[in-house]
Amino acid sequence: MAEFNTSVKEQGAVSIINLKGYLDAHTAPILENNFVDLIEKNRYQIVVDFKDLAYISSAGLGVFMAYIEKIRDSNGDIKLSGMSDKVYNIFDLLGFPLLYEIFKSESEAIKKFTETK
Amino acid sequence: MNLSSIKLNVNLVLWIIASLVGTIFIYRLLFFEKDSYLFFVVNDLLSVLLLIILTFYLMKTLGQKNPQPSALVLNIGIICAFIFLVMLFVEQVLSTQIKNISTGLVNQDVFENLIFTFYGLMFLGIASYWFATFKELYFYKQYRRKNSYFIAMSVFILLAAVSNLLFRGDEFGFIYNTFFIISIILISFNSIKISWIAFISKKEKISLLILSVVISALFIINIINSGKEEFNGTILMNFSPAVYQFFKLILLYGGIYFVILFFTTLFHIPTAEAYDRKANEVSSLQFFSKLITQVLDIEELAETITEIATKVSSADASWIVIKENNDTKILANRNIALIDADLINKFLLESGTCEKITETKICSLQKFANKSQLSEKFGSLAISPLKSFNEVKGYLIAARKNELIFYEEDKTAINTFSDYASVAIENSLLLEQSIEKERLEKELDVAREIQKKILPAKDPQFENLTVTSTFIPAFETGGDYYDFFEISKNKFGFIIADVSGKGISAAFIMAEVKGIFSSLSRLIENPKDILIKANEILQQTLSKKSFVSALYGIIDFEKDTVRFARAGHCPALLIRNNSIETFKPSGIGLGLTNNNLFSTHLEEIKIDLKESDTLVFYTDGITEAKNKDLEDFGDQRFSEILIKHSSESVNKIANEVIKDVTLFSRNHSQYDDITLVILKWNKKNNLDGVKEWQNSTPQLKSKVL
Repeated sequence: MAEFNTSVKEQGAVSIINLKGYLDAHTAPILENNFVDLIEKNRYQIVVDFKDLAYISSAGLGVFMAYIEKIRDSNGDIKLSGMSDKVYNIFDLLGFPLLYEIFKSESEAIKKFTETK
Repeated sequence: MNLSSIKLNVNLVLWIIASLVGTIFIYRLLFFEKDSYLFFVVNDLLSVLLLIILTFYLMKTLGQKNPQPSALVLNIGIICAFIFLVMLFVEQVLSTQIKNISTGLVNQDVFENLIFTFYGLMFLGIASYWFATFKELYFYKQYRRKNSYFIAMSVFILLAAVSNLLFRGDEFGFIYNTFFIISIILISFNSIKISWIAFISKKEKISLLILSVVISALFIINIINSGKEEFNGTILMNFSPAVYQFFKLILLYGGIYFVILFFTTLFHIPTAEAYDRKANEVSSLQFFSKLITQVLDIEELAETITEIATKVSSADASWIVIKENNDTKILANRNIALIDADLINKFLLESGTCEKITETKICSLQKFANKSQLSEKFGSLAISPLKSFNEVKGYLIAARKNELIFYEEDKTAINTFSDYASVAIENSLLLEQSIEKERLEKELDVAREIQKKILPAKDPQFENLTVTSTFIPAFETGGDYYDFFEISKNKFGFIIADVSGKGISAAFIMAEVKGIFSSLSRLIENPKDILIKANEILQQTLSKKSFVSALYGIIDFEKDTVRFARAGHCPALLIRNNSIETFKPSGIGLGLTNNNLFSTHLEEIKIDLKESDTLVFYTDGITEAKNKDLEDFGDQRFSEILIKHSSESVNKIANEVIKDVTLFSRNHSQYDDITLVILKWNKKNNLDGVKEWQNSTPQLKSKVL
């Protein structure tokens, strides 16, 4: 299947993971590593930006579930942003909007973190 | 009779030899003045006896040592040179001791007698040793043993020696001469068969050539110096004429043998290189067969390769480096520390020595700056590329310590071997890959098999409801699950679900989900409660990463209703009067969150069924089926095809949908399982709603087209 890669940038206390390409069972470990790295560095305020993501499979969705508990226990959160309608529909079907805050843009998500502080 | 098969008790023989030597000494001291025929006969008989026993003993001990011919030749040469020197100086040394040689020989005093006896015994011993050595050379690598020629020769040499004693006087000279000539003919004949020449290397042949010239010259000089009139000849004649004859014949044998050896070697030299190469190939082939049996384990194979490489190249150490991405990895190392091998590798890579080599290359570590860091002093390397499909995958490196360097001759052997090693390593890696691939395929087979057994084998059939299910598995099991449950006389439950993940792990979760719903459907007659209970169980058992989307519904034949709840699954579709209605009640996927949140957000929908109402349940394998431009089949196309065929039978509708999806995605492989369940409410003509399960064929339909 097609390529997938991520890039991580930092803005203050907030870390932003940009997703690009196809996130499925085979590429999910790449994103998992990003979460593990951030948790190791005690950076629990994470925004995942879906702007460049073309596709997400169920295994891709699972990655978010794997770390959310630990992150929230550490007073952090994963906020999602920039989803295309197609990707949003997949999240929506599974009820993710009830579990995660989803924003239109990356900056809104970051703003939410700074506001609550 | 086989000469070497004579079994002798070694200790006994040594004892006999010692006592014979003693006897000869005593005998000669006691009777030296007796110039009688009898004295000489007894003296000679004793000497010949000693000669024969000693020769047999030496032949036996030499044969047991299994010596190399080149070593034997060298031994002969050294002794020959020694004899040459002895003969050169014996006259001067002894003449200072003995005033008059001619009178001294006749009227010896005790001291002179002792010296002459000792001298004679020494020559006797040397002659025996030479004879034993020639015998060893004669039989070395002689496949068809021609014993008879050698025995005949030995007998005639002995006869010639003894006849010299027995038939003294000129009238019987012809008997002695006959034996002598026959002996020489047989010696020449036996000397021609030098079969071991072929088996030595070119280097050895060249040294042998020089050696044979020198040795044959020495033998000829020795023959000349042992004439009857010479001092040496006189002493030996005096000691024992038989021994003297024997000694002379052996000298002749040596002269003839080494002259012939010289020419034989000379003629063998042009073919020596070809022979060397052949010999190398043969030995490499033996090693290769050893490698073949080990391709099953790459590490064991690498160990063996380094082991054989040190042998083939007579190196002190050897190791294998394999290129991995942009790095190198040492696969095996023998007789060298990993740190040392790493240091040398680094040097080779940085200095570019390994670049573009296509065959074995010899290089020195002279320019290696960090040489002092090595724990052992390696000085010379032979680097062989390990190729596969004309690409260099790694290197086999052999190293020698100190001043020992690799020569060009060593290259061929290492190169041939490294070629074989390349093939073996390549095969081993390919085998490993194919085993891994096969294992994965087996795993996928198992996953599909589990899925097939979990899914219902047949569709239920009711008087008021027709049911069809279509399932098309993806190559890598996608985790789709659907099932039908007989809840009670008037109630029919169904579920459609999709487990997250793929392959065997998804198949196991499916099995768990089936177990949960099979039991819950008997206990709870309410879709929402069933899903809440299922979430409670799955939340505990599933890993955090896994979840299940599901839609559970119950048809009530008595009340003509369908009730369903959706836990994160694709919406339910209702086709009524040629239009489609999408039902997407709120609900979170199973296993995603705690029961509190889950139950708060779970909605249940109830629909009163009318005649010809068609309910469609599906998994995202349909709507997310892709064409070659990676476009989704999508909700729109799905709705259109459903509406178009809504008036037809459920089977027909399902077939049309599958046909359309297949056509749409024909240029793109099916990535996810496809599941489609269609229910159609028929006009009620039986108020009791009696149902029966029809024994129809399994509805696992293959792809149309």
